[in-house]
Amino acid sequence: MLNYYDPGTQSYEAGKSILNPDFDFGTPARVSENLVTVSIDGREIAVPEGTSVLRAAALAGINIPKLCASDNLEPFGSCRLCAVEIEGRRGYPASCTTPVSEGMDVTTQTGKLAKLRRNIMELYISDHPLDCLTCPANGDCELQDVAGAVGLREVRYGFDGKNHLDAEIDDSNPYFSFDPSKCIVCSRCVRACEEVQGTFALTIEGRGFDSIVSASQNEPFMDSECVSCGACVQACPTSTLMEKSVIDAGQPEHSVITTCAYCGVGCSFKAEMKGEEVVRMVPYKGGEANHGHSCVKGRFAFGYATHKDRIKEPMIRESINDPWQVVSWDEALAFSAKKLRGIQTEFGRESIGGITSSRCTNEETYLVQKLVRAAFGNNNTDTCARVCHSPTGYGLKTTLGESAGTQTFDSVMKANAIVVIGANPTDAHPVFGSLMRRRLRQGAKLVVIDPRRIDVLKTPHADEGLHLPLRPGTNVAMVNAMAHVVITEGLEDKEFINSRCDTEAYNAWRTFIAEARNSPEAMEEVTGVPAAKVREAARIYAEAENGAIYYGLGVTEHSQGSTMVMGIANLALATGNIGREGGGVNPLRGQNNVQGSCDMGSFPHELPGYQHVSDPEVRERFKAVWGVEIDHEPGLRIPNMFDAAIAGTFKALYVQGEDIAQSDPNTHHVEAALKALDCLIVQDIFLNETAKFAHVLLPGSTFLEKNGTFTNAERRINRVRKVMEPIAGMEDWEVTMALSNALGYPMNYNHPSEIMDEIALLTPSFTGVNYDKLERLGSIQWPCNDEHPDGTPTMHTLDFPIGKGRFAVTEYLATEERASRRFPLLLTTGRILSQYNVGAQTRRTANSDWHEEDLLELHPSDAELRGVKEGDWLGISSRVGHTVLRAKLSTRMLPGVVFTTFHHPGSGANVITTDNSDWATNCPEYKVTAVQVEKVSQPSDWQRNFVDFDKRQQDFAKPAEEHSSDAHASALK
Amino acid sequence: MSDPQLTNLIKMIDQIIANNLHHGDDDQVTDVAAGHLQKFWARSMKQQVIAYANSEGADLSPLAQKTIAKLQAVS
Repeated sequence: MLNYYDPGTQSYEAGKSILNPDFDFGTPARVSENLVTVSIDGREIAVPEGTSVLRAAALAGINIPKLCASDNLEPFGSCRLCAVEIEGRRGYPASCTTPVSEGMDVTTQTGKLAKLRRNIMELYISDHPLDCLTCPANGDCELQDVAGAVGLREVRYGFDGKNHLDAEIDDSNPYFSFDPSKCIVCSRCVRACEEVQGTFALTIEGRGFDSIVSASQNEPFMDSECVSCGACVQACPTSTLMEKSVIDAGQPEHSVITTCAYCGVGCSFKAEMKGEEVVRMVPYKGGEANHGHSCVKGRFAFGYATHKDRIKEPMIRESINDPWQVVSWDEALAFSAKKLRGIQTEFGRESIGGITSSRCTNEETYLVQKLVRAAFGNNNTDTCARVCHSPTGYGLKTTLGESAGTQTFDSVMKANAIVVIGANPTDAHPVFGSLMRRRLRQGAKLVVIDPRRIDVLKTPHADEGLHLPLRPGTNVAMVNAMAHVVITEGLEDKEFINSRCDTEAYNAWRTFIAEARNSPEAMEEVTGVPAAKVREAARIYAEAENGAIYYGLGVTEHSQGSTMVMGIANLALATGNIGREGGGVNPLRGQNNVQGSCDMGSFPHELPGYQHVSDPEVRERFKAVWGVEIDHEPGLRIPNMFDAAIAGTFKALYVQGEDIAQSDPNTHHVEAALKALDCLIVQDIFLNETAKFAHVLLPGSTFLEKNGTFTNAERRINRVRKVMEPIAGMEDWEVTMALSNALGYPMNYNHPSEIMDEIALLTPSFTGVNYDKLERLGSIQWPCNDEHPDGTPTMHTLDFPIGKGRFAVTEYLATEERASRRFPLLLTTGRILSQYNVGAQTRRTANSDWHEEDLLELHPSDAELRGVKEGDWLGISSRVGHTVLRAKLSTRMLPGVVFTTFHHPGSGANVITTDNSDWATNCPEYKVTAVQVEKVSQPSDWQRNFVDFDKRQQDFAKPAEEHSSDAHASALK
Repeated sequence: MSDPQLTNLIKMIDQIIANNLHHGDDDQVTDVAAGHLQKFWARSMKQQVIAYANSEGADLSPLAQKTIAKLQAVS
């Protein structure tokens, strides 16, 4: 029988790959319309042109031994174990590097081949330790498997000759060890580092017998350019590169597929388990967002889940100056309900609110906003998207009609020009960063618009890239200048504009953008970027067959964040780069479920599915299911809650999985607001900074302890599956449900799938989503409804949800926050690869080995002016606060711009950021703060207070007998 | 004026107006700004600026006053 295989069509049955993702097919899939039929051991199979004989055989169910081949790497042909005989050809060609040709007749097993393979294995094993029984790879060793498969019985060469058996182990990396004595120099690690990760940190040094795998210039892994993504460890067929967790625990006995809880890429992982212990996380090849790749956070930094700091019991207290009192769930919930209702009686229905978590599941987020709207009876719900991507919601909804990115991640592989604005994918979205680098190596053009010289500009073997290092706060001037070039040089896509866009809006925008004041020459003084470079960038983007824009918080976290998002959409509409693969407007979402938390109605003005609360028809539908009236007025946003708390009208807040005290700007202001609350309920996995101001502490559960779904930056809904029991007995959705019941608004769900069914009932873009379908398809990209039963990978292919695309006039207005004589530098903030946001998770793992403290990066010329040397303590002052960080000299920024991260609470990075915000959404202007920097000899007042406050609050959470005496003393005051 | 919450609300209104001046004459601009407040501001925030406009209102620009008057008409 003829077996057909065509990855373009037949491998996707209703969107799901029918190829077993757990099986290694030897070489990557090839896409071709031409099918080639070959016979392998008498079995005929048709495969796309370009497919290797090795892969064709695997697809036909025939296993050829292999060591250097893997289907996530290009064939290499070094081990020669996959040798076959081909009718009419001489010798024994390697099947991995031999493409199929029509009518080819292949034999994979003959006496000669068996002898050849045994001889090869004999050579390998003559220089390999025979400690199989005590080797950590025992049970998961490809070398052992192949030795068994070829029937190796003796090693005639003996073991006395020259060998590598005494090679030293490199243990420098905290997560994996490198034991060169076990290395067979198959180059899989080197190729994984190059092809999959794109870092090129590894190489084979030396020649012949002296060949060894080397990190950078034969350095320890930890000192090399290695970013610890672990692709090499996963690629290694022996125990040469091996997870230390496996060395410690042994081989896992079962695995569960789930979704990473770090960034918005949403990688699929196999959690490999021993009972309830995670032995290792292995990125899942069947995951559509990551295709089997991961970063140092997702693969290795999971130890926080079992860290000793986890909150294991509910706790309550009357005042933040009291020690915590451990209570039962019932007591904690009754205490909370009584407080909340009491406050509402005294201060009114609108005096309380809730914050949903972008780290929790869709189902959990949905329940928190439902609790606020139905049980609290107001719309005072918000989420951390307020401080990151709320302008994306506003800007894209205004222009394109939907508050989400338009593409899949894979779409970048069809982009010819890639524009990255205010995003740093290799640090903040590393797996997507690797995919982007892969495309850049294939020849796509790169434009980076960022005050900093980010690492994607240093992609080996790629287009050199055009960097437009603009002044912080001038994004809109820049995007207008680029659009001006597109329009005035006639580079626009007239057909797309005529057929897909609103004419009146376009004409108004065209008149505006064509004005000379928007030209690159006119804007040069504002942005600081030479006009010629801006013109070149605009041409690269507009003239590309497919131009794609990727952006991050460097776009949104500005006083004109929403305007900039609209400016990006204008650019994409004007060039017709919407509605097909390879283009699009792509917001890179910060947290694992920030897209989902927005979709699930976390914003105070929108019910799930971005349905405005003022729409009576919408409210009626919710009322029918929820059984209560929904308030028709929007509620307070997070910054408005803070202001109202300080004013004394907002008294209680329920915060699920969000650390506003560390992550929100102007820490003094936030702390004042939190201290003003009569009841702060924090549900979290750790005693985070916000919890130090709380009256109720409810233990949260990590992604490993719950069922649910996350939605990533490409609108992909992925399943989260429980691999261990929640540490305090309840998953987060169960806690919210119990709180609601304690408040007298009944919620009765037995499983998150029932919550999803309710979401589907009420959310037009989710009507087709359910857990059965998620099991069947693996993942679903919304909208998923009758029109798109299997989801929607690319949005706006035929029309927009608002009919026609709407250009928006985007007038540039300078921010009020500008450099002055008193504050001559501009501070911008961001993230680093090894740490994640407020660091609550990653700081409790060995990831801190890469980033122990937040540093202030400044240009050597700014340093010289102030007599600052590397490592000096620097006082950083803005108009709202002062903090102290150590100096790091760096030429990544222009002179006049300084940079820091905000991963460590004691750094106080947000003590200096201001409460300036985006005009449309109140998203804080984190990316522009005017500061002065000077050498100092001691921490700031805030930092010293922080240390005292932190110690006192940590003490309060310890069991009574461990309280230090000063904690008691202060509690008694 | 010493109420920091009100100061902030007025700053926000000014910012919204400044970012929408391109919509045309004063009437069109204040239509857009009032629509924005209606759509995105909480009841208490609206009430606060309306109450201020109806009492003192000294720190409100003419456009802010007009915006709040329109907001009051639809509230």
